[in-house]
Amino acid sequence: MKAFENGRVWTAMLSLCLIMAGWATIAFSGSKNEPPQGISPEKVADYVHSIIEADRTVYTKHVVNRMKEKGIVSAAEHWEQKNALPLPAQFLQRAGRLVAERGSGIRYRLISLWPIYRRNAPATEFEREGLKAVTANPDMPHKGIVRSGKKQYYQAIYPDRAVAKACVKCHNTHPLSPKRDFALNNVMGGIVITIPLE
Amino acid sequence: MPSAQMTTNKGKRGLRRKLIVSMLLVGAVPLAIGLIMAFFQGTKEIREVSGTSFEALATETARKIDLILRDELAKTSQITTDVNIIKALEVRRDQLADYSDEDLQALIAQETQAWTEEVPELVRRLTDNDLVTTLRRYYGGTYVDPGHPIPVITRSATRGLFITDVVGRLIATLNTDVPYAHSHTPWWQGAFKKGVGQPYIANVAFNEQLKAYTFSLSLPIMDSLRYQVVGVLHQIFDAKEFFSSHIDTIRFGETGHVMLIDGDGTVLSCPVLPTGTRLSDTQIVPLVTPMHNGWTPAPSDGHGGVRSSIIGFAPLPTTSRITQDSTGMGWHMFVWQSSDELFAPIEHLFTWVAVFGLLSIILLILLGNMAASRIVTPIRRLQEAAKLIGHGDWQEPVTIKTGDEIEELADEVNRMNRQLASTFAGLESEVETKSQEVQYLQESTAQILNSVPDPVIMLDHDQQVVYLNRASKDAFHLSDKGQLEGQSLFTLLETDSVTQQKIGKEFQAIGADSNTGETSEMSSATSHNAGALRDPLQQATDGTADSNRQEIRINGQVYRYQWFGVRARPGQNHEVGLVLRDVTEESRLQDRLIKEEKLASIGVLSAGIGHELNNPLVGVIGLGEAIQDEENPSQIKEYALSIVQHGRRMASIIRDFTGQATSQVKGQLTQVNMNEQLKQAMNGVKENFDTVSLDIQTDYQNLPDVMGNPQELNQAFVNIMTNAVQAMGDQGILKISTSVQDDEIQITIEDNGHGLSHHVLPKIFDPFFTTKQQGEGAGLGLTIARRIIQKYEGQIQVTSKEGTGTICQITFPLSNHHLSGKKEDVL
Repeated sequence: MKAFENGRVWTAMLSLCLIMAGWATIAFSGSKNEPPQGISPEKVADYVHSIIEADRTVYTKHVVNRMKEKGIVSAAEHWEQKNALPLPAQFLQRAGRLVAERGSGIRYRLISLWPIYRRNAPATEFEREGLKAVTANPDMPHKGIVRSGKKQYYQAIYPDRAVAKACVKCHNTHPLSPKRDFALNNVMGGIVITIPLE
Repeated sequence: MPSAQMTTNKGKRGLRRKLIVSMLLVGAVPLAIGLIMAFFQGTKEIREVSGTSFEALATETARKIDLILRDELAKTSQITTDVNIIKALEVRRDQLADYSDEDLQALIAQETQAWTEEVPELVRRLTDNDLVTTLRRYYGGTYVDPGHPIPVITRSATRGLFITDVVGRLIATLNTDVPYAHSHTPWWQGAFKKGVGQPYIANVAFNEQLKAYTFSLSLPIMDSLRYQVVGVLHQIFDAKEFFSSHIDTIRFGETGHVMLIDGDGTVLSCPVLPTGTRLSDTQIVPLVTPMHNGWTPAPSDGHGGVRSSIIGFAPLPTTSRITQDSTGMGWHMFVWQSSDELFAPIEHLFTWVAVFGLLSIILLILLGNMAASRIVTPIRRLQEAAKLIGHGDWQEPVTIKTGDEIEELADEVNRMNRQLASTFAGLESEVETKSQEVQYLQESTAQILNSVPDPVIMLDHDQQVVYLNRASKDAFHLSDKGQLEGQSLFTLLETDSVTQQKIGKEFQAIGADSNTGETSEMSSATSHNAGALRDPLQQATDGTADSNRQEIRINGQVYRYQWFGVRARPGQNHEVGLVLRDVTEESRLQDRLIKEEKLASIGVLSAGIGHELNNPLVGVIGLGEAIQDEENPSQIKEYALSIVQHGRRMASIIRDFTGQATSQVKGQLTQVNMNEQLKQAMNGVKENFDTVSLDIQTDYQNLPDVMGNPQELNQAFVNIMTNAVQAMGDQGILKISTSVQDDEIQITIEDNGHGLSHHVLPKIFDPFFTTKQQGEGAGLGLTIARRIIQKYEGQIQVTSKEGTGTICQITFPLSNHHLSGKKEDVL
């Protein structure tokens, strides 16, 4: 039963990635030689963020919470070893990795000023400032163009709220968590969406 | 006597053996069960304790090694986040953007060739640049955080540290004995992960260039945005040197140790097996490489041993997750100890316990033998005493002082001996007295039997003569007592075959009665028949009339005989006695008497017939004379009618005597009402007798009609009523009543005449028996009446008291609903 649920989750994630990757491919297919027409990167980031948020919310409420309430299966950090469901944050990160491995160019990840693992800390000053900004003003995503060598990217940082009690409980009790006073609906970090500008 | 002695000796040896065996069973069986249970329980507990300990050791060692690897991973990760390295790799990435794929492949091929040929310029460029300098500083511990230097052991185990760019080219290395292009290698592809990046730990493999078994750690270097991989840091370790200092030192006992294997059973580090080898038994690999801690009994030890062993195992928690993502298999700690060493304590314990158990059994046998001797010796004395007592030999009191039940048993035997002695003394005198009584009874019985004038013969169950009294010998002229004893009965009784068959059947019958335990005596039927009046008109139906009589003829003499059964002794067959009485003269007289009775009866019959026929004959003669003188034709006709009636009357009388009445009325059954038949019969009686002065009282209840012959019934009722009227004379009360009771028609005819004496009453139904005067009756009325009634399955019963009157009760069953008459011949 658990394996079946896990299979459904991964199928859902893979479908999401395929949808986003396909959509992104279509959206940016003519941007190499022609200026973007119609949809700006800002809009694209908004669209993708809406999908990411919706998918994670559906997963959190209708999979994780429901399975736990029925006593079927819970979510756990080491879900592979414990035959459990991935945490909603892990769901988002894993999906982000799958999107990245698809090679479409658009990538997103979850970062925080109080990460449990250092790999989820802000990588650049832009990300750090963006997290501070969305924490202070959750209604206003932090957006801008960043550079890696000669490459330019459009980056948008959206606030990531504690959408479920499980999120708050995990971050408040995890031994590696630097902050343990989160409350429901607090901004715990941000979703960074990176779109290459070529 | 020798056989008895042998039996006794066997019994003695058997009792002792049984006692010893019983003691052995009581002592040895629990001991053996305890030993076996102790062995198995001890083995089980040792397995569980050892397994749990091995599991704990494996878990702890796995955590330790995992911590070292995680620490190494964390330290190496610092290099991948170095800003200078990232910027340098970003520049190289951007430079490659200007190359086409073909140009890039050509460039890589050219530089690979140069690296292989160790072109000094290229070697210097790759081993002496800013990135190499940075690597050296990290490797030397300069760049690490204070207090967290790279462990010395790690540095000494490092066999290579280099960086590749975004296309897998070598761009910085601390040593030259590494390849140039790596984009095709699993570790580079795993770490690059399509530009996403992922830590990669490669399994142990033999490195041809380094001439050692190595494993490697590959970490992606992300760009400054952590957007994509711009390079890969690769670190190669000598597996043996990396792990041995942590694993080889953990030893327990002589053979116990820990080892690190991958999920394929390849040894990463082991103090016994060389690194890179596989476990000898691949079957145990799945048992010891699950992704959880545990212990298991395994069919072998993986080190070449074939004995079952206990193995504790535990995966390296974090490292195994990375290696599983990298190669699909985890790294596992394996704790093992030789089975010989592991189970040596329990085997030693079992050996010692077995030795002690054997000694205990020997001790039990010795002690059991002594105890059995103490028990068996007094019992044997008691047995000898009992045997002597059983033979009737006087036995001196047995003296046994054991203070237990055996002593009490000896006292009881002595007491029994005394009582038997006194009892036997009384019994002997009593037996002598009884024997004298038996002898007296035998002699007196013989005297009695010899004094009986009739022959008495005793037969066994085979009809063999076993005894003859003196009368028998005299009757059959036997001189020697034993002449016929033991011979067949019919050797003695020389009779015809029919008589022999009859006697044989009677013998079987009386023998069967004797067998059932009943004393049965067959009385002679002749004694009963002799007293009964005979019907002189009754004809013998066959020639067996004489043979049915309990009489036999022997040597011209007629004997009446009587059987009697003799109760058989227990276990013996019955005997049957036969008493014979010579009735030759008596039989002769009886035959003569019967003949005379028949002649007298014929006279009476003739007189009766004559009388009966005389009256209507006189009437016929008178009426005939009257007709001669009569001129009135109607009167003449009336006289003729009377003549006819008288003729019919005479014919009826003749039919009655000849027994043809029934045959003539055969088939003339009609609906008959008994009340009507009684009334008609009464009217008939009134015609022949003066009944004016008689008080005739009738009480006729309603009766159902039945089928019957009215003439027969009328004749029966007339005969009975005629007797009643004749018995009363001129005055009297005649009561006639009918009723239905219990499915029977009951008819009662009662008179208050002179009645019948008790001597006469049993004979009233006999033919020609009459108490009337000559000419008043032939003595056939009641005989005919009873036979008619019996023909219709009815019964007639006459009760009478002399001087008071007679009651005649007749019953007919209603169940038939008709009086069809089953007997064709009434008379």
